[in-house]
Amino acid sequence: MKRVLALLLAVGLTAAACGGHKSGSGGKGNALTISNEQGTTWTCGFNPFNASVNFLSFGTEYEELTYVDGLKSGATTPWLASSYAWGNGNRTLTFTIRPGVKWSDGEPLTAADVVFTFQLLKKYPALDLNANWSVLNNVTQKGDKVVFDFKTAAVPYFYYIADQTPIVAKHVWASIKDPTTYKDTHPIGTGPFKMSSCSPQVIKYTKNSSYWQKGLPKISTVYYPAFTSNDPANQQLASGKAQWGSQFIPNIKAFYLSKSSDNHIWFPPVVNVCIYINQKDPVLSNLAVRKAMAYAIDRKKVASIGEYGYEPASNQTGIVTPTFSSWLDPALATQVNYDPAKAVSILQAAGFKKKGGLFYTPDGKPLSFTMINIGGYSDWVASAQIVAQELKQVGIKITPENLSSQTYDADTYNGKYQLSYDGNQTAGPSPYYELRSLLYSKGSAPIGKSAGEDWERYANPAVDKLIEEYSATTDSAKQHAIVRQLEKAMVDDIPVIPVTEGVDWYQYNTKNLTGWVTQSDPFARPAAYIPPDWGVLLLHLKPKA
Amino acid sequence: MRFVLRRLAFFVATLWAAVTLNFLIPRLMPGNAAIAMMSRFKGRLNPQALHALEVAFGVNNHQSLVSAYFTYLGNVFRGHFGTSLTFFPDSVAHQVFQALPWTLGLVGVTTILAFVLGTLIGLAGAWRRGGLLDGLLPPIFVITSAFPYFWLALLAIWLFGIKLGWFPESGGYDTTTTVGWTWTFAVDVVRHSILPAATILVTAIGGWILTMRNNTITVLTEDYVRMARAKGLTPWRIMWTYAGRNAILPNLVGFAMSLGFVVGGAILVEFVFNYPGVGWMFLQSVENQDYALMQGLFLMITLAVLVAILVADVATAILDPRTRERS
Repeated sequence: MKRVLALLLAVGLTAAACGGHKSGSGGKGNALTISNEQGTTWTCGFNPFNASVNFLSFGTEYEELTYVDGLKSGATTPWLASSYAWGNGNRTLTFTIRPGVKWSDGEPLTAADVVFTFQLLKKYPALDLNANWSVLNNVTQKGDKVVFDFKTAAVPYFYYIADQTPIVAKHVWASIKDPTTYKDTHPIGTGPFKMSSCSPQVIKYTKNSSYWQKGLPKISTVYYPAFTSNDPANQQLASGKAQWGSQFIPNIKAFYLSKSSDNHIWFPPVVNVCIYINQKDPVLSNLAVRKAMAYAIDRKKVASIGEYGYEPASNQTGIVTPTFSSWLDPALATQVNYDPAKAVSILQAAGFKKKGGLFYTPDGKPLSFTMINIGGYSDWVASAQIVAQELKQVGIKITPENLSSQTYDADTYNGKYQLSYDGNQTAGPSPYYELRSLLYSKGSAPIGKSAGEDWERYANPAVDKLIEEYSATTDSAKQHAIVRQLEKAMVDDIPVIPVTEGVDWYQYNTKNLTGWVTQSDPFARPAAYIPPDWGVLLLHLKPKA
Repeated sequence: MRFVLRRLAFFVATLWAAVTLNFLIPRLMPGNAAIAMMSRFKGRLNPQALHALEVAFGVNNHQSLVSAYFTYLGNVFRGHFGTSLTFFPDSVAHQVFQALPWTLGLVGVTTILAFVLGTLIGLAGAWRRGGLLDGLLPPIFVITSAFPYFWLALLAIWLFGIKLGWFPESGGYDTTTTVGWTWTFAVDVVRHSILPAATILVTAIGGWILTMRNNTITVLTEDYVRMARAKGLTPWRIMWTYAGRNAILPNLVGFAMSLGFVVGGAILVEFVFNYPGVGWMFLQSVENQDYALMQGLFLMITLAVLVAILVADVATAILDPRTRERS
């Protein structure tokens, strides 16, 4: 017995002695370590059309035709295509493919590869994540040019075709039997990095020394460890082991910023977190109720308490500021401000009666609603609670219901809710993308059927027409005018109530590397999980002299 | 013989029930795998991707529940578990076998260590009741085993990982180490396992100590122990072959079951330490409505527990002649 204990003690002491040194690696000189909790270990698959792994290869190995900057209202940079042009009443889009670009196996990139990529998406709808073929007629090659022929004018699809579709090599992918279940463990791409080793815990990328942008990339190695929970990931950022973070860190001043003067953060707002109001609900279909709710919510309070001030307050137009400020109609932006007295007077004017602190409809139904939200997102739970308190003060009762994210999403998609606290929309390079997914009734579905857009079942033919008109124009002034009219619909009809502005989480360390995205130079969306933007950011990084 | 046959029949019936429940329960959950994927990448996937995902995952293939059940049974018996949706398009078997060694290494070794150490301490404590060892170790470990695991683990990470920097605070190995059968990698893996292993040990050992100590005390009052003393046998021999052998019997089944559960991993441990094992994978499969992965894992756990119990039954029969006679 004694011997066993002594042995254990000895083992313990040796281990402690061995463990005395700290392994600080990854940050020195030419290497970068990313710390971004994805809640998963790596499969070591890199199929750029697989939604669960595409952010690991699209931007580093695989590249886009034209880079579109989501933080600069869609400013374009030529990439694999040296130029593009619209024609035929915005129904034809022609890309000229850049000469001299090589795949990482030495073969040259040609227009045939681009055509092949899009034919692949047509043949396998499971790969067509952005539904390109819902608007495309055909894609053909003309020498070094690729011509996209659309069913109708579809200008906004430029973003999906040029920026969001990774181009793959015909000579590699043509022989793959089922590209849907193809793992792609050793991607052959045109990009600045090559995957050099992968384990479930970490992916190592090394520089592609024959990259077509001469002299780039300036960093040689990128480590992308897998984190299954937030705390270890945050810890790596705080200790400086990782230099690029893309996740929520609670109490970030004390936990991260105070650890080093080289630690920086910037959270650019990109998309709204909204309350979806089910337009098919008999009580909520009354505009007065929706208006009263929009006036009764103190968005600033929700932002500062529920979201720790990291996410700014939204405005009713649905335009995310300051990212898209140039699109905002300032008069509309301040029209629906926090004003509980006005909320009460709107309800009274519409014939609602207050009894025991709660408003009732003229036919006697109480203004009492359930609001579903995701129980796992602690900040949204807190925000929903604050919204409920605010509405209670004007006499509208909200019962937040915390659901698992699956139940929650299934209910939201199928329209089985009264109010839903959500951010289902994705950010795009202009506010149009978000407004379309909030308002376009042709993308919606009847209650009980899964809707891909317009989850609140708003239907306004005039708005649908505006959205289609936007699709037909490349004229920036005209686009701005249309978006302003959409803002007006948001303010007049209150189909949803934008509450806070969702952000890209971004932490970075400037000790050894410079060239990061900053507020004054937003050349890419800075979260490490956004394809292909993360590749653009990596190309800008360089070691400090 | 009848004893073994009866145990086997029971084994088969339980297995069928488990396999069937395993099929049904996940399907009672709301939503589908495509929606689960959309939730996982909330705000990052174009809403239009829902359709593409449904096609890829075969969500709307309208197979009836009954025919799905028989397809499933057939696949289970042939050992086909299909494609994991969480780790799409990887196969369930590949993913599980990738994670299993980590779990077996960490949780398996610590479970055995906890049992062996706990039993020894319990036995020694009971033998010298009121002695220094008995006064010190059992109370300490009973207290530590009452700590919430995640709290203890976070405390250990903070103290030994962050403040003192003795051990790495997360992961199965350092992200910059090359994976392979090398000495450096082995050392790295051991270093990474010390904190999780120590915390599991500290929280698991108390239960074994307490039951073993109490069993031994009861056994020590038995007539056959007095008889052995009267015969003048050495205390050493009485402790091991009279007290120990009898006191350990009730703990054996418990140990067998906990061995079976090892393959289920330790969700909290793996979560807190970012450890690449099966327990965390289990959680993922449930969160992502990954039926195939869930079924594969459930089945593996069920089988392991059932086999472990079968083995424990047989072991008890060998160690304790009384159970044999009664059956």
